[in-house]
Amino acid sequence: MPEHKPTDKRMSRRTLLAAILILFIIPGTILFGVFFLNDRKYYFISLLIIMYTMLPFVMVFENRKPQARELIIIAVLAAIAVAGRAAFFMLPQFKPVVAVVIIAGVCFGGEAGFLVGAVAGFVSNFFFGQGPWTPWQMFCFGIIGFVAGILYKKGILKKTRLSLCIFGGLATFIIYGGIINIGSLLMFTSQFSWKALFATYISGFWFDIVHAIATAFFLYIISQTMIEKLDRIKIKYGLIEDVN
Amino acid sequence: MKDAFSTFHPIVNFAYFTGVILFGMFFLHPILLGIAMISAFTYSVMLNGKRTIRINLFYMIPMMLLMSLLNPAFNHEGKTILFYLKNGNPITLESILYGIAAACMFVTVILWFSCYNAVMTSDKFIYLFGRIIPSLSLILSMVLRFVPRYAAQIKVISKAQKCIGRDVSQGNILRRAKNGIHIVSIMTTWALENAIETADSMRSRGYGLPNRTSFSLFCFDNRDKAVLTVIMGLVTIVLAGSAAGENTMRFFPSIKAAKVSFSAIIVYCAYLILCILPAFINIMEGVKWRHIESKI
Repeated sequence: MPEHKPTDKRMSRRTLLAAILILFIIPGTILFGVFFLNDRKYYFISLLIIMYTMLPFVMVFENRKPQARELIIIAVLAAIAVAGRAAFFMLPQFKPVVAVVIIAGVCFGGEAGFLVGAVAGFVSNFFFGQGPWTPWQMFCFGIIGFVAGILYKKGILKKTRLSLCIFGGLATFIIYGGIINIGSLLMFTSQFSWKALFATYISGFWFDIVHAIATAFFLYIISQTMIEKLDRIKIKYGLIEDVN
Repeated sequence: MKDAFSTFHPIVNFAYFTGVILFGMFFLHPILLGIAMISAFTYSVMLNGKRTIRINLFYMIPMMLLMSLLNPAFNHEGKTILFYLKNGNPITLESILYGIAAACMFVTVILWFSCYNAVMTSDKFIYLFGRIIPSLSLILSMVLRFVPRYAAQIKVISKAQKCIGRDVSQGNILRRAKNGIHIVSIMTTWALENAIETADSMRSRGYGLPNRTSFSLFCFDNRDKAVLTVIMGLVTIVLAGSAAGENTMRFFPSIKAAKVSFSAIIVYCAYLILCILPAFINIMEGVKWRHIESKI
């Protein structure tokens, strides 16, 4: 199947707004919590983040009348991610969720990737248990999908196996591992210190490595068939991109 | 026993859990912490039965111990120094106590979340948020439905593949893995095509038209009104107490809790009633039922 180059490399205003929100305001809030609220209100910060994660969603879908088809494709991808997480429950960290999220981001754009990630994080915790870690997972999964979508649109990320695997491994290790470790530190200890953060990174290192390898592995196996299927569906039924 | 609190209007349930979870996150005062932890534990046992006790024994207690140990290892504030670690960092009484308090808080919040999961079922959540964020709640409900459905469909596909010798139970290990991937691939195609069909069906049934009702209908009756008023009243008292500083607690550099005064006791009582409310409603309902039964 010939690769479809993204024709329009400019980002829409909505994507830009979502990017500002995700890349600056959420980390800003986390830092605000750490430095100004003496980091004692980390639950409050987590709740704020969960609200922000909803906002891009609201911007994408609630403003214009969403088509049932778009909604359902996102639901399908999120369900596949959740089912994948459930299927590999016995192997800690060895999960295909990030791989599915990246594919969603590449095929349907940054916001869709973000939504698939955030929804998969939220819903899978209905099966694995909700808790204060939910917003962190939602955010970590979501942002990887978002970044994947943007990088693809910019032409940096290609739909080839190699490109996806490298991006997937790095994104899982740096973005997911980098953020989730801060989250677990804030959940388990009360006071933020750089030493403790460093210790968390050290202790989480192997988990992150396993997770990154899992993502690259799943991307290697499923990416080409999945992308082919998604592109086919997109062309056959004229989905998301044509609606804009 | 069926949980009586779950039969209330979703807005009552949601308001209640928002209140207790937020309070549970913020109050570190030992008395309030104890009240919240015991009530959350009681209610979650009522809701989830033996499972809660098991989870608590195997996960919560080790987690609490870990958290209580972790905090003093990294946090060296406080003036009562107990001893020094090998690397010269002091272990202080305050940081140990703070670790224990934070651990209790964490466990309480998780217990409340487990109650929340049992009471606020997805249809209630969607009933509440369907109007504010319709697409998001639609997606949530669809994903929740899709997961078990895909599991069932995988079984169907796997059986069909078995007939042509391509199941995960056939062939050598490489062959099996390949078959497994093939089954997942078939599943994905089916899921996508099926999804489009569902979407078209939704459209033809009038998805997105105004004034459509929810799957589950809830009436906001007098009982809900009464309980919501009680919850709001108690929340106001606790908030007022918190504003007046009745439940502040300072750990560093030295431990200092707010004095137990008359008004503080009122706040404690209000918090106790608030936290124990669902359990109390359950017991009252049980008593009422007994009473009616004995009359027959």
